[in-house]
Amino acid sequence: MLLDIHQYKINIDKTFQENYQLYHDAYHKRPGNVSLRVLPPCDVSFYEKIDLTKYDFEKDIEQYTTDLLGLLDQSYQTRKTLDDNMIPTVFPILGIGDYSAFLAGDIIFKPDTSWGEHVLKEIDDWKKLPPYGSTKWYRLFMMITERLIQKSAKQGIPYMRGFFSPLDLAHALRGEDIYYDFYDEPEKLHELLDYCATMTIRFAEDIYRLVDKYGKDTTYGTWYTRKQINMSEDIACMISGDTYREFCRPHTQRVVNHFGSGYMHCHSRAMYLVKEICDMDHIVHLWLATDPNQPRPIDHVAKLVNDAQGAVMAIDCDTFAEIEKNYEAMKKGNFSICLPVKSVEEGEMVIQRFRQLEATHR
Amino acid sequence: MLLEEISLLLQKGKAKEVKSLVQQALDEGVQPADILNEGLIKGMSIIGGKFRNNEVFVPEVLVAARAMNFGLEILRPALVRDGNKAKGKALICTVHGDLHDIGKNLVKMMIEGQGIEVIDLGVDVAPEVIAEAIQEHHPDLLCLSALLTTTMMNQKVIIDYLKKAGIRDQVKILVGGAPVTEQFARDIGADAYAADAASASELALAYCR
Repeated sequence: MLLDIHQYKINIDKTFQENYQLYHDAYHKRPGNVSLRVLPPCDVSFYEKIDLTKYDFEKDIEQYTTDLLGLLDQSYQTRKTLDDNMIPTVFPILGIGDYSAFLAGDIIFKPDTSWGEHVLKEIDDWKKLPPYGSTKWYRLFMMITERLIQKSAKQGIPYMRGFFSPLDLAHALRGEDIYYDFYDEPEKLHELLDYCATMTIRFAEDIYRLVDKYGKDTTYGTWYTRKQINMSEDIACMISGDTYREFCRPHTQRVVNHFGSGYMHCHSRAMYLVKEICDMDHIVHLWLATDPNQPRPIDHVAKLVNDAQGAVMAIDCDTFAEIEKNYEAMKKGNFSICLPVKSVEEGEMVIQRFRQLEATHR
Repeated sequence: MLLEEISLLLQKGKAKEVKSLVQQALDEGVQPADILNEGLIKGMSIIGGKFRNNEVFVPEVLVAARAMNFGLEILRPALVRDGNKAKGKALICTVHGDLHDIGKNLVKMMIEGQGIEVIDLGVDVAPEVIAEAIQEHHPDLLCLSALLTTTMMNQKVIIDYLKKAGIRDQVKILVGGAPVTEQFARDIGADAYAADAASASELALAYCR
């Protein structure tokens, strides 16, 4: 079972306050914040430990949620002395199949990930999909979500859920044929993306309602569902900035506008898209994951400051020296910098050095 | 002039126009091999270079490759009639445990664009299936794609399997995919690493010569 959030973080109220300040400033495009996340092995090991193939989700939701929360509990207890910007959260781990299967199709599970089926043979087949809310995976996902929230809200641990952007969702439903649709069926592609935007809004609303049901009277239970939406723009890495602007931006923007602010995710392969994404209204955060064999965001801080326009750029680096070297430059924008460490002890030392760095630049 | 136009239209993904111009070129007596090399392959090589430089992206490569296939449909009987053979044969797949196919498909199209026959084994392909395919098709080249850090190790599993089966040396092995690096390729005993689809097609051509 989970503990109260205060037992997972030595100074959780300060962490919330710092995060609030960071995103409040980002929303108002005020620069000057650099925030640190350390990443010890326990922050990711639960992804490897949970074997998604061992569950029959029609029968095993109780077991699955118990196992998952047990792994999260272990992780948060292990890192509880780390005074970085990480807020303990509860979230389902089902791979990525669940990000589209709530609309149609089954999920193909592998031990540590999953995929959804491509169900749209023709681009306008979305009109033949089952009514929203009637599919097996919508039902199972909502049951899993409700159980996770029931088991965590009273402890003040926020529930967090990301979503596919309209383009990512359309790609998951349509498969690689979507790349031809940009040329062959531009109007119909817009219709599909519009449908995906609407479904994302409905799905997020339903999940947020559950969070409200159990978490609205808790200190931090609804932290990640108030006036915000978290979306990936992974498939945008495969298209040009012009194509993104024409096809994707209007639909992603509609979802962001519905909730109030956008927390986005993309990859360093698409460094050229940072400006396109952050040009949208109310984008407060962009996690730009470093891809192997691609430019490292930490090597392009000045460009990111310029392109992000005040949005928090969540990027990673390899050494503390890189943080020191880029600290002044990062203060010209807003950054959340993530540094992998080998152990919690190393993480503690890094955080101590980071706090000293902050003090000298105050 | 006509061949230049074929190349340009191919780069724009104008499949029907490419098909029609290839037919026109044949009707005007242009050598099929010239249409292939100076029209279709040239256009595809330019697209590959632009893709490597982030000047064009996945949709543009796919529609260009489709235009090439439209042209090849018309050209193939003439090429066969003239005794033009494929420059080589390659097997391609995404390794077991991995269902991603866009990278594999791009490489496949670019290699085909070099005039090499490609047999596509699909995604999530087990070592035994690859071994059987090598024995059946006798390819010059095996291309292994993996998108995930968790599945890239299966490229090594496959190479080890082929070694154990005694058929590793029958093919050159080219590996690629987002997390794969040159060092990794060397470490697992592959012959080469390709950073992108254009490089893969150039390497494939070199191995098939």
